[in-house]
Amino acid sequence: MNKPAVKSAIDMERIKEIVMECGGHKWALITVVQKIQNEFGYIPPEAIPVIAKGMKIFPSQIQGVISFYAQFYTKPRGRQVITVCRGTACHVRGGESLLEILENSLGIKEGETTPDMEYTLETVACIGVCALAPNLVMDNQVHGKVDPQKIEQLLKKGEA
Amino acid sequence: MQSVTISLNGREVTGESGMTILELARREGVYIPTICYEPHLAPTGGCPSISSCRVCIVEDERTGALVTSCGTFIVPGMIINTASPRVIERRKIIVELMLASHPDSCLVCLKGNRCQLRQVAAELGIGLPRFQRIPLVTTINDANPFIKRDLSKCILCAKCIRACQELVVEGAVDYFRRGFVARPATTGDVPLEKSECTFCGTCVAMCPTGALLESQPSYRGTAGTSVRSTCPFCGCGCTIKLKVKEGRVVRAIPDNADPVTRGTLCVKGSYGFDFIHSPDRLTSPLVKADDGFKAVSWEEAFDVIQKEFNRIKGEHGGNSLGVFGSSKCTNEENYLLQRFTRCVLGTNNIDNGSRLWGNPSHTDNGEAVGVIATNCASALEKADAILVIGADPTVSAPLVGYAIKRAVKCLEAKLILIDPRETRLSMFADIWLRPKVGTDLILLNGMARILIDEHLHNEEIDRETPEFKAFAESVAAYTAAYVEKATGVPYEDLLKAVRRYATVGKVATIYGHGLSLSPHGTETIKALTNLAFLVGKSAQGTGLYALQKENNAQGACDMGALPNLLPGYEQTSDLKSRRIFEDYWGHLPSTAGLTVFEMLEAAKAGTIKGMYVVGENPVASFPNTQYVRKALSSLDFLVVQDMFLTETAELADVVLPAASFAEKEGTFTSFDGRVNWLKKAVEPPGLSLPDWEIIIRLAAAMGYSMSYSSPREVREEIRKLVPIYKGIGYGLLPEEPQDRLQSFSKTPAVYRKQPEKVLGLWPTHNGTTREKSNKKYPFLLLTGSNLYQFGGNTRSSRASRLRKFYPHAVIDIGEADAKKLEISEGDRVKIISPTGEITAAARITDTLPEGILFMPSPSPESSVGQLFSISLDPVRKTPCTKSVNVRIERIGSDE
Repeated sequence: MNKPAVKSAIDMERIKEIVMECGGHKWALITVVQKIQNEFGYIPPEAIPVIAKGMKIFPSQIQGVISFYAQFYTKPRGRQVITVCRGTACHVRGGESLLEILENSLGIKEGETTPDMEYTLETVACIGVCALAPNLVMDNQVHGKVDPQKIEQLLKKGEA
Repeated sequence: MQSVTISLNGREVTGESGMTILELARREGVYIPTICYEPHLAPTGGCPSISSCRVCIVEDERTGALVTSCGTFIVPGMIINTASPRVIERRKIIVELMLASHPDSCLVCLKGNRCQLRQVAAELGIGLPRFQRIPLVTTINDANPFIKRDLSKCILCAKCIRACQELVVEGAVDYFRRGFVARPATTGDVPLEKSECTFCGTCVAMCPTGALLESQPSYRGTAGTSVRSTCPFCGCGCTIKLKVKEGRVVRAIPDNADPVTRGTLCVKGSYGFDFIHSPDRLTSPLVKADDGFKAVSWEEAFDVIQKEFNRIKGEHGGNSLGVFGSSKCTNEENYLLQRFTRCVLGTNNIDNGSRLWGNPSHTDNGEAVGVIATNCASALEKADAILVIGADPTVSAPLVGYAIKRAVKCLEAKLILIDPRETRLSMFADIWLRPKVGTDLILLNGMARILIDEHLHNEEIDRETPEFKAFAESVAAYTAAYVEKATGVPYEDLLKAVRRYATVGKVATIYGHGLSLSPHGTETIKALTNLAFLVGKSAQGTGLYALQKENNAQGACDMGALPNLLPGYEQTSDLKSRRIFEDYWGHLPSTAGLTVFEMLEAAKAGTIKGMYVVGENPVASFPNTQYVRKALSSLDFLVVQDMFLTETAELADVVLPAASFAEKEGTFTSFDGRVNWLKKAVEPPGLSLPDWEIIIRLAAAMGYSMSYSSPREVREEIRKLVPIYKGIGYGLLPEEPQDRLQSFSKTPAVYRKQPEKVLGLWPTHNGTTREKSNKKYPFLLLTGSNLYQFGGNTRSSRASRLRKFYPHAVIDIGEADAKKLEISEGDRVKIISPTGEITAAARITDTLPEGILFMPSPSPESSVGQLFSISLDPVRKTPCTKSVNVRIERIGSDE
């Protein structure tokens, strides 16, 4: 499985390289930050000035782009990301309880990451498989008709 | 331009293609409310507005579509209704939705009646909102004394963001996050004082609501009167509007109608005006008595001066008197002062404060020694390439800095920067050359050789300029290897820079005090002029710009406050030139007088016995304070005319209290020759008088009548006698807008005629331009400008907010040097030169090459000038105060 590696120290030279690879064109900003996120798991805020210098864009503008898109993260994420669907169909079939169970068993709130950097818990408005509601996504894999037992299994499997 | 006819509220109107509905409506006198629209933000050729607030919607009756008038271009056949029932209904909903998330704090909001949201709501007759209220909650974190952000009042119109990115091009704020929680924020959402913000105040002036406000205002309400004036600090000549309440200036904002400043100012212009009301202001003439100064009447003061000046003149002749005038006073005052000096005192010993910063008079005995801007600042933005050398305009001339950054960022001009130090401009530079300090001359001559070798110069020069051959030979010695070794700039980079400079199209060349104050400054400026001449585009395109330190440095020289030149740069030695003025004034002395530094030397030697110093503070602003003090003390008689009891005034026998810029009429001339008007906003305090009135009355006391009753009459005479100011009379004084629609129109800028251009080829004399560093003084200290302090710091130190923000002297030390010296951020250090020593706090930076230190001048507490000896440029007689060899010591906290 393609898990983003969590690096402790950020290699600024590598970030410079990524910026250079994209030719320093300002229209390539989203590609650049996506690449950084793919490699580092998130976009370290200290990388922003480095990107800014390389691409001749103001740091505040880069922050604006990063904070606008849901796909970008400025904090390290867990090795496994659990996304609970909070769409209408899932809500009717108990999506809210799923989230609650996950929050309790992981000891974190929505949007947070466990201290051991194992799990990040997120929500999404709808993933489009309402027929299987309630749904959650774990590591890019959709799990339908989720119930407490299934959550237990998933978490156990994840730890193995 | 194609004309386009549309129907506007049932009327046929015609505009040009590329015009928006809003622009046409305004021209036709139809009012459409706006909030986010700001004409200054419309970049050339781009979208005129981002239409974020939607308040200016209008209906196109053909389709029934509601479109924003600020962002929609007119097309033939449009049937526009600006106030149909549908438009009004929707417009109300839009504004009500804004109000639903807006706090109810209008009663205590500092924005008061200036709030555009409130104005628009009132016009639409909106009362309490119908919608559920979800007020935004924010905390105010900014601790700086200039700008306070209360983002709960933000309506997300993006004016501040666009002002920061597109006008002043600082980029300190942008949108942060998305949806309801979105707001403008700095990088990392830190308070402004920790961000790139330079507190220029542009966003504050543009903010339609109370989200951005002036911090610590002296008056919380809306001032009744507004007076158009001109900023008294740097040479850019920005128009400002002074807001007056009960005889006090309470606020300064940019003048939106000014097409040159385009709604921008810098921190000094926005927040540095309150020295006007400093308690230190002089309120009556002072005469030195045994126990300090004694306040006297004007008559008594004039009587003392008259007796002494006449006695000295009688005993030792007019040439034993000297006048040091001011690059801060108006054109009219400088004109009067030189007439006073020449006609009343009978000497040409007159100079002005711009001498200290590199005299801008452009020729001396036919040789170029400095260049007057050959074009206006607004043309700068049209350049395809901009070469900046020896200047950090973002600090020393912010308006020019904005224009450069705009040209690069919005219009894709290429910036070639020559600076050993990393400045704010570095990130905008296409090519950044970092020569070793003091090797500019070699670099420029190297560039000239490449130009010639590669045949990139204007070919007509070969044929038409007889000096060309000799010049080409003179730069032949600057070979690739020599230039690279001497300057440390890779030859490849230099080649790239030259090719860009010569082939890109219109070129603007900008230089500042980095050149004019360096040793061999004259030679370096010549080399730069040669380069501009060789490219040969300066005449038709954009040109050469010499930045000026002070607000009226250009005007003081234009007006002949110089020892060798009469008003309009006519030689004093030329009989014909003298005749023009003698017809009006009487006899004029012919032999050139002394420059200010020569006057000081003569004072020390005893040949100058009396001096009249107007609006200058040489003890604080000149190098080698001890020497200056000694020279002035050895005079028999010293008169100082100033707003404050300055360090220089303390040495005077008579001190005359002068009015500030806000208390008088007149004109200033900016570095690029723009003539800006001053209007009287408030009365001078106590007995103090405008400089022009003091000069006229002093002349009268000395038995010489100058029959002017106001600066207007002086201006009329200048208009007649000085060709470059021909036609610039009070008829051109801009009117104050009378109503709302009129306030949208622009005031055209007035330029005086550019003096005859003196671009040409002058072979330069070679010279190593850096004093060799030695073991005792291993570092080279560079000086430069400071955004928060100005000149001799006489005024800026009395502007409460500027002083609060920058209270201590700071010296920049490179990371590697700091490590070697074991100095860390904030340590107190002692800087020692062969001439003197000062202390400052260390600031560690990665912007400096090794062995180089940087200290802004002026600095609070300690004057950098103390480190310099007075060594003058042989031609311009300007002191070389750009760099000095020093050593630096940490002052331990336990000592």
